[in-house]
Amino acid sequence: MSLVSGPGRGGTSAGAVPDELKLAVDNHVKYIQSLDTRQDELEYWLTEHLRLNGVYWGLTALHLLGHPEGLPRDATIDFVLSCQHGSGGFGAAPGHDAHMLYTVSAVQILATIDAVEELDLRGKAGEEQVGKYIAGLQNRETGSFAGDEWGETDTRFLFGAFNALSLLHLLSLIDVPKAVAHVHACANFDGGYGVSPGAESHAGQIYTCVGALAIAGRLDLVDRDRLGGWLSERQLPNGGLNGRPEKLEDVCYSWWVMSSLAMIDRLRWIDGDKLTQFILRCQDREQGGIADRPGDMVDVFHTVFGIAGLSLLSFPGLEAVDPIYCMPKAITSRILSK
Amino acid sequence: MTSIREHQYTVETLELTSKLLRSNPEYYTIWNHRRLTMQHLFKGPGSSERSREQDHDAIVNLISDDLAFLLPLLRKFPKCYWIWNYRLWLLEESTRLLPTAEARKFWQQELALAGKMLSLDSRNFHGWGYRRTVVQALESTKLSTQEPINSMAEQEFEYTTQMINSNLSNFSAWHTRSKLIPRLLNERGADNEARRRFLDEELELIQRALWAGSEDQSLWFYHQYLMSNFDPKYARDSMVPDLTTDERSKYIAQEFDRVQEMLDGDEDCKWIYQSLIHLSKLRKGLTAEWPAKADSVRQWTDELLRLDPLRAGRWNDLKSDLDN
Repeated sequence: MSLVSGPGRGGTSAGAVPDELKLAVDNHVKYIQSLDTRQDELEYWLTEHLRLNGVYWGLTALHLLGHPEGLPRDATIDFVLSCQHGSGGFGAAPGHDAHMLYTVSAVQILATIDAVEELDLRGKAGEEQVGKYIAGLQNRETGSFAGDEWGETDTRFLFGAFNALSLLHLLSLIDVPKAVAHVHACANFDGGYGVSPGAESHAGQIYTCVGALAIAGRLDLVDRDRLGGWLSERQLPNGGLNGRPEKLEDVCYSWWVMSSLAMIDRLRWIDGDKLTQFILRCQDREQGGIADRPGDMVDVFHTVFGIAGLSLLSFPGLEAVDPIYCMPKAITSRILSK
Repeated sequence: MTSIREHQYTVETLELTSKLLRSNPEYYTIWNHRRLTMQHLFKGPGSSERSREQDHDAIVNLISDDLAFLLPLLRKFPKCYWIWNYRLWLLEESTRLLPTAEARKFWQQELALAGKMLSLDSRNFHGWGYRRTVVQALESTKLSTQEPINSMAEQEFEYTTQMINSNLSNFSAWHTRSKLIPRLLNERGADNEARRRFLDEELELIQRALWAGSEDQSLWFYHQYLMSNFDPKYARDSMVPDLTTDERSKYIAQEFDRVQEMLDGDEDCKWIYQSLIHLSKLRKGLTAEWPAKADSVRQWTDELLRLDPLRAGRWNDLKSDLDN
């Protein structure tokens, strides 16, 4: 999956919104399908360090758009497995080192296409070992998680671990209460959460912390009204959402802010119609894809988070998304009820 | 690339990784290879000819050179996680390999770097995070050259004051302040009297700031944080834990009057109504009575609905909450 930006740009006519704002579903599907054919572009190779994330973003977008068959299943499995190491972890692409971020994407992709058992059948390491790789990144004293053996610690990695291990039914491999205590230590006066204890609240980190607490069944720890208030103030007069006070709007925050609001049952605290219009203004209706804001280059990252945001807003024709996992709700329900 | 695939860890490989990382600093596997190469070079050549001192000088030079290599990359890509991570790893290696005083020098320089990054972009997320990590390291026992360990809370608190004075709209600085205050008061061994004085000064500061920028959400969030001092729900984290109910009520009444005064000439500022409602609810929670002018509470929620339709769902929830 290419993360090359463009070729198109998101709509540029911020002031002149057409009466009928439609989601260009077919063109978005074509855009995502075309991404892997752009290997003649330098940027394709400059974004290789994100390839497995890119497959997850593209695949999830296709599922939410109602085209689950949009990427060839066998080739997808082959590619995912080609990124695996004997340790159980996955790198961004073949030959890249294992890291939490790509291991989580690998698990999410395999879960989405119902192919987790391929790990035991054909992987360089089986399901249990993938779980052990992730569990091995937990600091048993603080409860936090590192991204890889070099030790960078961030609540993103803790959430990734909760996300992937719960999909694999292997949460028992980690110390959940300690991890929960760590998340709680990252809470701030505004009700939000940061990358580590002491760090400023940031909508992306709030998603990861609230998501981890949701998976652990500990949303009782969240100061819902205070957090909801802060998150609702992310909406700007143009309808878009930012990630911190006094920052610019960006389509990807449609996901981080809204999914957090959904998890604490405060989604109604922002204006869904205005946000819908903002996201739709960021799409390239002719060539497909969604940009961070109107007039910028489209890319698959903003495409999936724009579509997932629209799904949370119950946009007609889209599959329902799970606000915790950013995967189709039907799929997470099936896996988690097992 | 072949030398990387073949796991060669030489000065030549190091140069090769430099070249690759200059063109694409997101290539995390190359950063990892650079770490392995550095660790190899730290050990020195296979022979045991070199003295400890030579080893030590060689390590200092390797780390200095590498820190210098990273500077232009950070300037060019200030938001790239991998560069910041690698830099921290390098500094941690200095702690692991060098005498405390030497390692401390390296860490100390980083404060200036973080300060520089934040003077270029006062909200840079990485800049603030990096500064916090460096301070934590300098305060840790591993890097301590004296007993007791030097806390930097006062110095960092002063830094947030400076940042706020140069631009009130700095949520990062207000946030950092909220994290430093409890530590600061504990380390000062502040008694209740001193804690009250401190709180009063913070209330004065935020009032002055609000008069200068009543539309600034950073300020109102900080104001809300200060008001938690009078909320039994947050009493455990209060700056003045021994406040009586009576004292809390008095503080709330004082803030209520100050905020209401702001309304004069600023009738379209939704934050003022929001704060008045919040203070009224606080007072109600404490004494079971609405403040004198609280018959206006419902009117203020209508103002919120008028001034802030984006968040109508929130204000409607507030309305039904008030009805119950």
